[in-house]
Amino acid sequence: MPFVKKPQVFSAKINELTLGTGDKAVTLGGQNVYNLYSFDAPIANAPKIGIDVSDDPEQPCEGLKNFYAGCDTLAQRAAKAAALENVDFVCIRFDLADPNGANKSVEDCVADAKAVAEVVDKPIVVAGCKNAEKDADLFAKVSEALQGKNILVLSAKEENYKGIAAGAGLAYGQKVGAESAVDINLAKQLNVLITQMGVDGHNVAMNVGSAAAGYGFEYVVSTLERVKAAALSQNDATLQMPIVTPVGVETWGVKESTAPESDVPEWGCQEERGIDMEVETAAACLAYGSDAVILKHPDSIKTVAQLIAALM
Amino acid sequence: MALKGLDIFKLTPKTNCKDCGNPTCMAFAMKVASGALSIDKCPHMSAEALSTLSEATAPPMKTLKVGDLTLGGETVLSRHEKTLVSKTLYAVAVCDCMDEAKQDAVLASIPKVDYERISERMYVEMVFVNHSADKSAEDYVALVNKAKALGRPIVLSCTDVAAAKAAAEALKGTDFILDGADAANYADMSAVATEAKVILGVRGASLEELHATVEKLEAAGNKNLILDVGEASIKDAYAGAVEIRRAALKDGDRSFGYPSIVNVAALAKGDAHLEAALMSLFTCKYGSIVVCSEMTYAKALPLYGLRQNIFTDPQKPMKVAPGIYPINGADENSPCCLTVDFALTYFLVSGELERSKMPVNLLITDASGMSVLTAWAAGKFSSSSIKKFFDEFDINNKIKSRALIIPGKVAVMKGEIQDKLPEWSVIVGTTEAVQLVKYLRDEEWKKSYKAPAADGAPAAAAAEAAPAPAPKKVIPAPPIVVTGPYKLEDKEVKYKGHDPASKTFVTIGERIHCISPAIRKAMETYDEGPILKRAAEQIAAGATYLDVNIGPAESNGPELMQWAVQLLQQNFNNVPLALDTANKAAIEAGIKVYNRTNGKPIVNSADAGSRIDNINLAAANDAIVIALCSADGIAKDNEERMMHCHNMLERGLSLGMESDDLWFDPLFLVVKGMQDKQMDVLNAIKAFSDEGLKSTGGLSNNSNGMPKHIRPIMDSALVAMCMMQGLTSAIVNPCDLRLMETIKSCDVFKNHTLYADSYLEI
Repeated sequence: MPFVKKPQVFSAKINELTLGTGDKAVTLGGQNVYNLYSFDAPIANAPKIGIDVSDDPEQPCEGLKNFYAGCDTLAQRAAKAAALENVDFVCIRFDLADPNGANKSVEDCVADAKAVAEVVDKPIVVAGCKNAEKDADLFAKVSEALQGKNILVLSAKEENYKGIAAGAGLAYGQKVGAESAVDINLAKQLNVLITQMGVDGHNVAMNVGSAAAGYGFEYVVSTLERVKAAALSQNDATLQMPIVTPVGVETWGVKESTAPESDVPEWGCQEERGIDMEVETAAACLAYGSDAVILKHPDSIKTVAQLIAALM
Repeated sequence: MALKGLDIFKLTPKTNCKDCGNPTCMAFAMKVASGALSIDKCPHMSAEALSTLSEATAPPMKTLKVGDLTLGGETVLSRHEKTLVSKTLYAVAVCDCMDEAKQDAVLASIPKVDYERISERMYVEMVFVNHSADKSAEDYVALVNKAKALGRPIVLSCTDVAAAKAAAEALKGTDFILDGADAANYADMSAVATEAKVILGVRGASLEELHATVEKLEAAGNKNLILDVGEASIKDAYAGAVEIRRAALKDGDRSFGYPSIVNVAALAKGDAHLEAALMSLFTCKYGSIVVCSEMTYAKALPLYGLRQNIFTDPQKPMKVAPGIYPINGADENSPCCLTVDFALTYFLVSGELERSKMPVNLLITDASGMSVLTAWAAGKFSSSSIKKFFDEFDINNKIKSRALIIPGKVAVMKGEIQDKLPEWSVIVGTTEAVQLVKYLRDEEWKKSYKAPAADGAPAAAAAEAAPAPAPKKVIPAPPIVVTGPYKLEDKEVKYKGHDPASKTFVTIGERIHCISPAIRKAMETYDEGPILKRAAEQIAAGATYLDVNIGPAESNGPELMQWAVQLLQQNFNNVPLALDTANKAAIEAGIKVYNRTNGKPIVNSADAGSRIDNINLAAANDAIVIALCSADGIAKDNEERMMHCHNMLERGLSLGMESDDLWFDPLFLVVKGMQDKQMDVLNAIKAFSDEGLKSTGGLSNNSNGMPKHIRPIMDSALVAMCMMQGLTSAIVNPCDLRLMETIKSCDVFKNHTLYADSYLEI
């Protein structure tokens, strides 16, 4: 029997979610096939790439230090990052706001965010410091300050979704990220809770958890696959939100990426290891279901953009 | 790929001749489909029908071997559906078009990446040797001979038949793959591969052409194939890899049911980072062999980690090898932290230890890949297992420090470990890994450290001089005193009795379990109050049996179990009990004092793996045994569950047990996490029931992690479905009113008890 292609096209599709405004706005999601399966049907919007810029000037490798050389503020770094080719959006991350760390004030963060918005015309994603209480406050205030910019806040979690859904989503019409840690049941539950608060499901993105390759990544794989399968094959509207996966923050923290060459000479250049860890993890996330990945290194961004372009 | 009865019926002669002993062809087909009869019982099946059938029942994807390496054999597209079985293998490409220096450099680089990660050797498994059209067969053979010296299986990539023949000759006696058949040369290439008895790689300008070539090869009898997804473009190669695998596994296309090979080196065109990205992509989906231009540590570290993650069996815990893991430059004088071999525990603990920047020896003991508390409750992480580990790895001689920090969660083991390792100072560490950083940095552990009487060797000598362990302060069990009927809120609680012959559903109350801190404490101190209270609550709620879990109880198991058995039976009219501990002597001791008026004792539990001996224990003591249909980890499908079931049944029967005394446990799975496996469990119960076997299990595990108000709803729905499937018992929380009412109602529908308006109250 001759081979006849059987494209796997679903009647359901992933929600389209637009970030930013004007001609630099980007749209995530929209496909009615599994990720990257452009051979099954044309993909409405190719997966997108964000660049991760922290308010902490510390950089994990020489190349990034050089790249941001001369940039003293978050806004300067964000402007530099946004100017990179292949960057679809800029994710500013307020690591220094952590109450258990530098405990930068919300007001200072808001001022930073405003400064970023003035110099960056690409869509802005705002990530917090992982402290649930501080983030809720931070996201609400930044959302107010950046009203009309159509930003995405990353993210609302089980502990603080109420404040964030109300503060960022309902009050200022920003997009809300819903974060769960490789738990498909919680991913769904959080989307239900956020939409029950009155936020339109079409204004929600998901971060269903991430890890560096080799570090329990199998849980990320299965979560991504099962979310996409439920969204498309079961037409589960509570899981049709596009998935945004922060990759760089995970991969630049593991020892394969951080150990100096002097400690492990046989492993070779530290920066190259960090890039490959970031690139390989991102490729796997895209293969299994991420609609956008957030990366740190310009070379990683260039490579992942090449990969996406080749597959579309 | 099980065929449905109707599909088989279509292949029968449809004559209803009864030669097979069945009244109709339809009845015969149905029995074949269920596996009750084999197809050859019908003498009139045509050869064509038989071959169609054998084709249909063949696995959807072939499993091929190259030396010790395995390719293919997948049955699912996603790891969570079951498991992926054959990990992606990596090859480095070398070509006769390269100048000699380059060839040598590539070959020399191949052995450089070779390391171990979580008990798995990470290295380049194969060498891909490409033949360029403008080179001679001699050039090719010369290169093949050089590559052969690496001692790894070679993939010959060569469409020239003469060159392929010469190279195959050079590789005679080794394991290799001949990747070179196409629409034009397939017959000749197949002859070369067949003669050399090796796998033949097939390529095509399109998937349609590839498929047609494979069909021709298959028709000629060659089914030892691997499919090359091509090098035309990244997009086409990816489409090929996915479509081939999907056609085989989802659509049952046997001609695409072969492993695949992806030449990423050709696709990346020299861009090292893009090559890394592509290797990751094709490891995810669905390269069996992925070829790169060079393997560096930068590429390998994430790649092999990714592969290890993707190809772990979701049903089996990932384990790290037991041993000493020095962290932050620890040496023999650094303190030791002890934990289990569950990979996530290891990563978590070792990560925090690294962050502390303090030199520590992490000691990993074999605990069957379970987490600390689970392993402890199952008797896999005990003072004996730790002692055994210390002996096996010669820790006392390898490490001079005598500070042993144990996980805070198993503080209860401190005394027992101290007894078994008298030369060490056993220190109870933190309950959570994240607390370790501060705990070590501030050297909090030193507060509890007691220097051994004499240091180093003398301590060991002292232990030798006095081989009898120091008498441990074990509180002797107090006598059982029954002071009239037990009262719960002024209401008398009396066990109403149980007829072992009754068909009504047997509930085994699970609330006396040492994982509960209140019960653990009560058992340590022989405090009868909390134990009697929980027993009374469960009996009042209608429990048939009570489970008594005393934990591993290594130092006083027999005494503790006897005390518990007598305490419960004497206070509650000989309530029947399930004796639940990893300590066999404790179970035997418990049975010795057990009163059988209301039913035999239950041994909880045996499995088809390391705990199979508990069947012998039940047989020798005329007890019932709960038989877990698993060996190491959860059974991957019902075929495996039933295999374990039959193994244990056979063993029980051969030891003289009645089949009614083996209660099979399908292992209930948690919905949050294993929702897609719930029907497997239900079908397993049906299979037990169809064979006339009894069954039980920890049913409420399904709702673990759900909110309190949801659990009774899920448990009740599941018990109703299970009872429909034939479940005869369950280990439950009898204080769950909704569940107990559901069970009673189902017993009415099953006609096990006569209905009356007050049926819930009796």
